[in-house]
Amino acid sequence: MRLLLQDLEKRSCSLGIAILLMLSACSDNMGPVEQRVVGGDVERGRRIIAAIECGACHTIPGIQGAHGIVGPPLTDFAERKFIGGVVPNEPTILVRWVQDAPSVAPHTGMPDLGLSDDEARHVAAYLYTLR
Amino acid sequence: MPNPAPRPEGELEELKRIWEPPKGIHFLSAVNNNYVGVWYVGTAFLFFVLAGALALIMRTQLAQPELRLIGHELYNQLFTMHGTIMMFLFAVPVVEALSVFLLPNMQAARDLPFPRLSAYAFWAYFFGGLAFFCSLFFGLAPNGGWFMYPPLTSYIYSPGINADFWLLGIGFIEISAIAGAIEIIVGVLKTRAPGQSLDKLPVYSWAMLVFALMVIVAFPAIIAATLLLELERAFHWPFFIAEKGGDPLLWQHLFWFFGHPEVYVIFLPAAGMVSMIVPAMAQTPLVGYRLVVLAVIGTGFLSFGLWVHHMFTTGLPQLSLSFFSAASMAVSIPSGIQVFAWIATIASGKVQNKTPTYFILGFLFIFVIGGLTGVMVAMVPFDWQAHDTYFIVAHFHYVLIGGMVFPMFAAFYYWAPTASQRPLSETLGKWAFWLIFIGVNVTFFTMHITGLMGMPRRTYTYIAEMGWGPFNLISTFGAYTIGAGVLVFLIDLAKNFRPYQGDLGNLWNAGTLEWLPSGNYQTRSIPVITSREPLWDQPNLSDDVEAGRYYLPGAQTGGRETIVTSPIDARPQYVLQIPGPSWRTVFAAFFTAAFFIGLTIKLYTPAFVCGVLAVVFVIWWLWDSDPGPAEVGEIEIGGGLKLPTYTTGPMNHSWWAMIILMIVAGMVFGCIVFSYFFLWTISPRTWPLSAAALPAIWWPIGAAALFVASSLLVWLAGRKLSLVPERSAWPTRIALVLAVPLFIGGIALEVLGQLETGLRPSESGYGAVVYTLASYQGFLVAVLAIMGLYTVVRSLAGCLNRVRRSTFDNTQLFWHYGVAQGLVALLIIHAFPRLLG
Amino acid sequence: MWIQSTMVTYGPHAGVIETLSWVMFTGALLIFLLVMVLATLAIFAPDRMRGWMTGRNFIIGLGIVFPVVTLTALLVWGLTISRTLVTVENPALRIEVIGERWWWRVHYVDAEGQIRLVSANEIKIPTGRPIEFVLKTQDVIHSFWVPSLAGKLDMIPGRVNVTRFSAERPGIYRGQCAEYCGAQHALMAFYVVALTPDEFETWYAREATPPAEPVIPLLVRGKVLFRENGCGACHTVRGTSAGGLIGPDLTYVGARLSIAAGTYPTNVGTLAGWISSAQHLKPDNLMPSFGNLQGEELRAIAAYLESLK
Repeated sequence: MRLLLQDLEKRSCSLGIAILLMLSACSDNMGPVEQRVVGGDVERGRRIIAAIECGACHTIPGIQGAHGIVGPPLTDFAERKFIGGVVPNEPTILVRWVQDAPSVAPHTGMPDLGLSDDEARHVAAYLYTLR
Repeated sequence: MPNPAPRPEGELEELKRIWEPPKGIHFLSAVNNNYVGVWYVGTAFLFFVLAGALALIMRTQLAQPELRLIGHELYNQLFTMHGTIMMFLFAVPVVEALSVFLLPNMQAARDLPFPRLSAYAFWAYFFGGLAFFCSLFFGLAPNGGWFMYPPLTSYIYSPGINADFWLLGIGFIEISAIAGAIEIIVGVLKTRAPGQSLDKLPVYSWAMLVFALMVIVAFPAIIAATLLLELERAFHWPFFIAEKGGDPLLWQHLFWFFGHPEVYVIFLPAAGMVSMIVPAMAQTPLVGYRLVVLAVIGTGFLSFGLWVHHMFTTGLPQLSLSFFSAASMAVSIPSGIQVFAWIATIASGKVQNKTPTYFILGFLFIFVIGGLTGVMVAMVPFDWQAHDTYFIVAHFHYVLIGGMVFPMFAAFYYWAPTASQRPLSETLGKWAFWLIFIGVNVTFFTMHITGLMGMPRRTYTYIAEMGWGPFNLISTFGAYTIGAGVLVFLIDLAKNFRPYQGDLGNLWNAGTLEWLPSGNYQTRSIPVITSREPLWDQPNLSDDVEAGRYYLPGAQTGGRETIVTSPIDARPQYVLQIPGPSWRTVFAAFFTAAFFIGLTIKLYTPAFVCGVLAVVFVIWWLWDSDPGPAEVGEIEIGGGLKLPTYTTGPMNHSWWAMIILMIVAGMVFGCIVFSYFFLWTISPRTWPLSAAALPAIWWPIGAAALFVASSLLVWLAGRKLSLVPERSAWPTRIALVLAVPLFIGGIALEVLGQLETGLRPSESGYGAVVYTLASYQGFLVAVLAIMGLYTVVRSLAGCLNRVRRSTFDNTQLFWHYGVAQGLVALLIIHAFPRLLG
Repeated sequence: MWIQSTMVTYGPHAGVIETLSWVMFTGALLIFLLVMVLATLAIFAPDRMRGWMTGRNFIIGLGIVFPVVTLTALLVWGLTISRTLVTVENPALRIEVIGERWWWRVHYVDAEGQIRLVSANEIKIPTGRPIEFVLKTQDVIHSFWVPSLAGKLDMIPGRVNVTRFSAERPGIYRGQCAEYCGAQHALMAFYVVALTPDEFETWYAREATPPAEPVIPLLVRGKVLFRENGCGACHTVRGTSAGGLIGPDLTYVGARLSIAAGTYPTNVGTLAGWISSAQHLKPDNLMPSFGNLQGEELRAIAAYLESLK
């Protein structure tokens, strides 16, 4: 039962993402090359975001319960020009930002979250699906 | 045949004219059961739909974890309102409403004995219920859950007026339910077809009798409880505040002493309907009639011994838990008897493939599951896990939807032809059935699992990690399926239901009296019954009734009338003159509702004005209700049987109503007395430690003397009334007028004596309950003062003499009761602490 | 996903109830099928096959005799096994749990009833020994419930309820308030963490000492800001000037699994989010949102709290 449900959940999620990708493909051919995060796994990123509850501060599409109002909403994140209004929205900077934002922007309220390099890449990959 | 046919020219026209409902806008002032019954059912069903819509909003919020469609504030109001409306504004009213419509039909009475009382009950419920519902639109709806546990609902943690809406609204609507119950008891016992003795009484009438008796005993508990909580909220009388010698569990005992029987109050009428529909659909008499009746009565008794099973997790001693556990299981036996009686009946006949059958079978399926999970939660250890989870939500929806909503739909499809020219559609009916049946099982079966997975009820959201998401989504899907089914039913209703234009006749070839040809006056003549299914066993019955060959084929008093019969063997006793249409009851109900709403929203002056107006309209309505003997004298109803048109004493229908009202008053009193002793066991330290702390003994002795003196005066007034009109009526009037200040003086002495000791109601649970006993006595005194003065006015108007004396007799009965209750209260307040000390 | 289930149990108390549940589910299923088969026969079977169902004896047999026998058996068995649920063995530990709106105050008390240790929203216990839980409430009625270990028991103002149960093996079990207690009843959960007795002793000894002084500048700053912003008016951090009793004790908050009573996992991010928007995340709870803080200040306080472990 449990396995079945997990499986179902997985399938419905990947189905959702597939649809998301297809939709974005129609409009913008799969997102620009410069936003591809090498080694980033969208699904794992989604799970990390859910597990550490980024939603306590951010509103994040596709994450249950992510209704935060402390930081900026991450809706259409892939379209954003800046991260945190401070630095350009580029994959390498984003990976560093989600790991340790204060090292990029000393006045930010976003803490050093202590993510590993891999985790940060997965998270970044997920964020670039938001368009 | 008692009467020869053909009947004289114009007799039928006269009957029709007398029973004709008022025209135009005035038709709202109709009071007879065919009209009020349909409005009543319709309003109750409206609340079913509204509360169902609230449930859909909740189910949408819970479809996914951590959704934010609605916030906790609205959600908490929604679940409170959903439960409250379903229980108090739908379930109880709809079964009363159906009986207002059905009972006179089934017992071949022209109307219920107190048509204006049922009109008042309906309108009070209509105005009060709608105002209560509208509190949602202002964010003022109660949010403490339908069982309103203090201290959460008291003034500290619920400072707004939301909780007051519940307490005043529900307390008030329960008064309407009790009014309906009085009507039903007297109706079942006193207005039956001649020969319809108790052993030939339809099971439905039996069920309604037990229902109404349960209402009489159980509902005063909720009235007392809401009274205490409102006193705590408004004046800080600490009944439920532990630091001041109150106890939150007092509420739970009072609430569930009402709340558990409530479930059977809802189920029994539905079971009664099933016992009528199954034989008709199977075309064979009910198997095990006596067993079923015994089961109905047994359920009524047992249901009062179970209330603690809602309190298994409060930490009560194991021994008492075991007792209530056993009782909770025992109550499933009468239900089992009925289930197998219905199966046996189905087996002995051949069921017709019709919509009512579908709903009956759906009822069996769902109700049996609900009953089985009921046995589970009666097991104390299992309840420790299941209590307050979605397992319980699933369980009671199975019981209530299975046990009551499905029979109700069966009843709608089955009895619609007695009210409408067109039957409801078989096609749409079956669609509605399948949608609702599948929807209910999808929604609520899933909830058993959600509950076992640990999801508590009354939560506006849940975190994703718990894994409850998919199950909740399934439940939400099911809930919308139920909604679709109800929608199909509403379409059917809109397309086919046409009341007040005559009826369709005996569509199902059923055997009971509601299928006789009828008009607004019910049957042309009132048949003599020799069987439980007279239409099957008495050949030509319909034709003879319609031809006027039976009793009372016309309207000999020149007004509305029906035959009153003896309670056991239904021998005709007298012809009751029934009041007709009146706006007074509508206004009385409107102002009563406005009074309570005004109190809730703290508009005290308008509330007071409305309260006075309500009393004025009630008195005005009552003015017609003691008409005295009709001018024509004794009436021959047929077959040489002559009946009086007026009686007094135990034969009189209003005497019965007064006795029942006294039981209600006594139950409220009993609940307050229970509170007194309960709080004493919890915190004896707040009780007076010695006689010195109590008022001096002369205070209660003085009060008792005044009480007794007032009773003696009323008794004297009665003696003197026996000589009116031959002798002067003044001794009666003077004695009555003097009795009023004596009674008031008695209660004033009691209050003054308590004030003298320095005791204040807000300082302790003891003080609160002592002053509540005095206040309740004071309320009775006020009511009796009005009744006494009203009686004097009747006498001045020449409406009171040794024959026409029902008004006086009822006042006298209630007066003596009030004095007896006052004496018991004095004894408890003043003797019990002295005995201790 | 099954950390709060009544049917996946890790303690003898809940285990007995689980057995009882399975027996009753099976029995109920059989009875339900019996009734449905009988109803189907009553409708569809040819006359000769349903003749036996049409008399009083059928009703008496199935409606009276059968339930009396089965229910009596169930009741006797049920009462027997529920007696085994009342533990008489001396408890290894006494823990007072006090329901608050909407969180749990936890006191480890000694034999004399003295409070030895204070925590919140998380109860660490040793495995294998019965623990005595003394249940109270400060405000309204709550209900203490850890489904995978035991059934629930209410916390009622003016009353003290006591229950004893144990965890069989180390693990994390979730509990939740089961009696509707107002606005945030939905978000009033906690964790029971069962440790081996040795681990528990180590934890208990360390928990009894105040947390180490911070040395990293960010954490030192956080501690100062925690004081300057008045957090200590409601919260206690042992060994510091913060001694408030209104909100949860935060002495070792960084070591607990969750914040906001089982609502968010404890990490520096959720702590920051909670501090600045507590009223948004759990509306109407007693903690205000601290929206006045600078970004670095918020990070510093969150990091300081997270370091308390």
